[in-house]
Amino acid sequence: MYNKVLSGALHGVEGKLITVEADVSEGLPVFYMVGFLASEVREASDRVRTALRNSHYSLPPKRITVNLSPADIRKEGSVFDLPISIALLAAYGYIPNECLEDVLIIGELALNGDVRGVRGILSIVDFARRQGIKTVILPYVNRKEAACIPDIRIIAVKNLIQVVEHLTQVKELEPEPFVQRHCNTEKLFHEDFADIRGQKMLKRATEIAVAGMHNLLYLGPPGAGKSMAAKRIPSIMPELTDEESIEITKIYSVNGMLEPEQGLLSQRPFRAPHHSITAQALIGGGGNPKPGEISMAHRGVLFLDELLEFPRNVIEMMRQPIEDGSVTISRLHGSFTFPCSFMLVAAMNPCPCGFYPDMERCRCTQPQIDRYLNKMSEPMIDRMDMTISVKRLEYEELYGEKKEESSKTIRERVAAAQRLQQKRLKSLKLLYNSQIPGNMIESVCGLGPEEKLLQREIFEKYELSARGASKILRVARTIADLAGEERVLSGHIWEALSYRMPVFGKGGERL
Amino acid sequence: MREEHYWYWINNIKGIGRKTVRDMITYFGAPEEAYKASERSMENFLKRSVMVDAWRQSRNEAIITGSFERMRQNRIRFLYPLSPDYPEQYRNIPDAPMGLYLKGKLPEKGQKSVAVIGARECTRYGQEMAAFFGRELAKSQVAVISGLARGVDGMAHRGAIEGKGYTLGVIAGGLDRVYPLENYGLFLEMEQCGGILSESSIGTAPAAGLFPQRNRLIAGLCDGILVVEAKEKSGTFITVDQGLEQGKEIFAIPGRISDAKSVGCNNLIKLGAHVVTEVQDVLDILHVEAKEGKNNNYFELQNERIVKMSLAPLEKMVYSCLRIDSKYIDEIIEDLQAAPQEVCMALNRLVLDGLVDETACNYYAVKL
Repeated sequence: MYNKVLSGALHGVEGKLITVEADVSEGLPVFYMVGFLASEVREASDRVRTALRNSHYSLPPKRITVNLSPADIRKEGSVFDLPISIALLAAYGYIPNECLEDVLIIGELALNGDVRGVRGILSIVDFARRQGIKTVILPYVNRKEAACIPDIRIIAVKNLIQVVEHLTQVKELEPEPFVQRHCNTEKLFHEDFADIRGQKMLKRATEIAVAGMHNLLYLGPPGAGKSMAAKRIPSIMPELTDEESIEITKIYSVNGMLEPEQGLLSQRPFRAPHHSITAQALIGGGGNPKPGEISMAHRGVLFLDELLEFPRNVIEMMRQPIEDGSVTISRLHGSFTFPCSFMLVAAMNPCPCGFYPDMERCRCTQPQIDRYLNKMSEPMIDRMDMTISVKRLEYEELYGEKKEESSKTIRERVAAAQRLQQKRLKSLKLLYNSQIPGNMIESVCGLGPEEKLLQREIFEKYELSARGASKILRVARTIADLAGEERVLSGHIWEALSYRMPVFGKGGERL
Repeated sequence: MREEHYWYWINNIKGIGRKTVRDMITYFGAPEEAYKASERSMENFLKRSVMVDAWRQSRNEAIITGSFERMRQNRIRFLYPLSPDYPEQYRNIPDAPMGLYLKGKLPEKGQKSVAVIGARECTRYGQEMAAFFGRELAKSQVAVISGLARGVDGMAHRGAIEGKGYTLGVIAGGLDRVYPLENYGLFLEMEQCGGILSESSIGTAPAAGLFPQRNRLIAGLCDGILVVEAKEKSGTFITVDQGLEQGKEIFAIPGRISDAKSVGCNNLIKLGAHVVTEVQDVLDILHVEAKEGKNNNYFELQNERIVKMSLAPLEKMVYSCLRIDSKYIDEIIEDLQAAPQEVCMALNRLVLDGLVDETACNYYAVKL
């Protein structure tokens, strides 16, 4: 007898529907599995047979053929154990055909018939919903993740018998209730900007960078608080929207990085890979490509501490993904696209010893400093929209009584500025000021004659490139947004000038 | 071969040093005689067979004239004690150079000259003072002489070039060796509006041992030596000692007594050097008329510029809390208790107006 069950597979971070067909016929007793299978899928035959026997379903010796279609997509992972066994049971007549309509089944089997959790549930369930599937049967441990998707019945199962009893309506299970994502952001962050004493400039620059999603470079001696500030950036970013939250959770789900029984992520990611990272780990890769660090920082912050220690080829790999907001990885079994729209924050020392220009501490000679800074390649410089020096604080400043602004207050300002941007940039299909292309920036800024004159003066004085000039304007645009101004005024340009990139290789002089 | 070729030859024998060359010229009377001397008499004079071999092998007319021509094509002039523009001052110093290489030109005869010297590792104060004095002295038609090194020396030259005056760099290595490399641009400029002088043959690497000799040339050529900034022990004092022996005026710019990099200067003052707080101090002692009125006091110049600029109140406040040493922007914000954006705005405006320097990313200092 022939029967089929719907299941899903992962393709990058997106789901794909897979039909599992089983046929039982007379002939020599064999178990055939076909359909472009990876070895872990092929091994399913042993798991399925044993699990079925241990769940007290007897399979009389017959010729069994299982096909996973479409046959031109490579099937990987362990999600097919459960659908194969259900298709088999249906083919043997344990489950009536009509019970399997519009049901999608996912799950890995243990030998005793227990259903184990799998990764990438969120992507598959989200895809299934968009395909109009009404019910999804999935492992119990994955239920929270799936329950965030509305308009679909989620049946969480612990073992094989439960599935059969549910499908044959012997003992129906209650569907998981839809969980509205709720998060109390205040409680989520252990780190708050109020922890950072003084450092007004650092805070101001960080606020502007976050408000316009500008990539930011911290320059400063060890212990100045560069990493400390970077870690707190997610706490001043606006709360995740539901859509963003699903995007992020999908990536983490595909990488198997969700805690068991975890629902949607409610916090923006902060990724700080060590500088020994390989290009594949950063961009994403592997035989069966998985998202890399840049994708895991999607909608959040990617922090590269000691930027100059990163191998140059690794940094250069990020050029195109940063611009596109997504990365496409092509491998033997197809090409996969992962989203990666993140804010790049980097930190580095201004000289080999780290203390320049504090001449009492810095022991480097000018050529040493130049050589060190020359490691910063042109493409790296291009990616950085803002640069700010950080200085180590004196004792009194560190332990003063002054009250500092909390992340919450800053976040409100940032959110307001971002709302303004999004309203303005809607027609251009952009989200943030940092994405405004160079040819549009002047019209978006709405410069008056006074500002144009100033821009020209600055352009000549600092010998800016066209790219450098539009960077300054983008930052000025964000500063104006933070101030709630519709047009960019000269004051905003003046301030933006403070965050421009130093000319490297000339002893830290600025462009 | 002409006379200059013989002089050029005797200064360029590999394996025979400056002292032997001098003795050889005294012994034989002239380089030409030494060139044409018999083997026997040379052996008698040089004693060591290695040196005699060196002498013998160096006597190749084609090579000598060839390299002399090449040098001339590179716009390098060769000066020897008998040439008309050999600096008068060197005739009076002991151990006078037997050959000099020059790019550009020497100070005019009768022009007063001051050596503006100091440490290579200097503070911004030293740099700014060197540039300031270099500029102001150059404006008063005083030749500024220095060693084209890192730090004070280079800044003195830059100042003089800015003041559109004459400046001479005396270097230790050959004229084709740019050292330090970061002064490459300065080397090119010096050729145009001044000169570069060296005692070393073309191609000589600037070895440490050559610098005291170079300092002797600086001391010999100038009328006064202005020490801008020096630690307690500094190569600068070789120049000062040489200058004292030759009876030159010694000037020193005082520094803070707590500053290790000014200890040398302060010690000089204690020992009787002229204290210099404005350019006029130097000009008075050298009997030079200031060319541009009395505009050579640092504070007066500063005030005049600020008045001319008519700064906004906040800019004035920001400017007044800046010092000659770099200050981090947060410290300015802290001092003024103003909003970061306001301070940024004021600072950038001051930088654009040329009153303030951004010495490093977000570090600011007043410009002189």
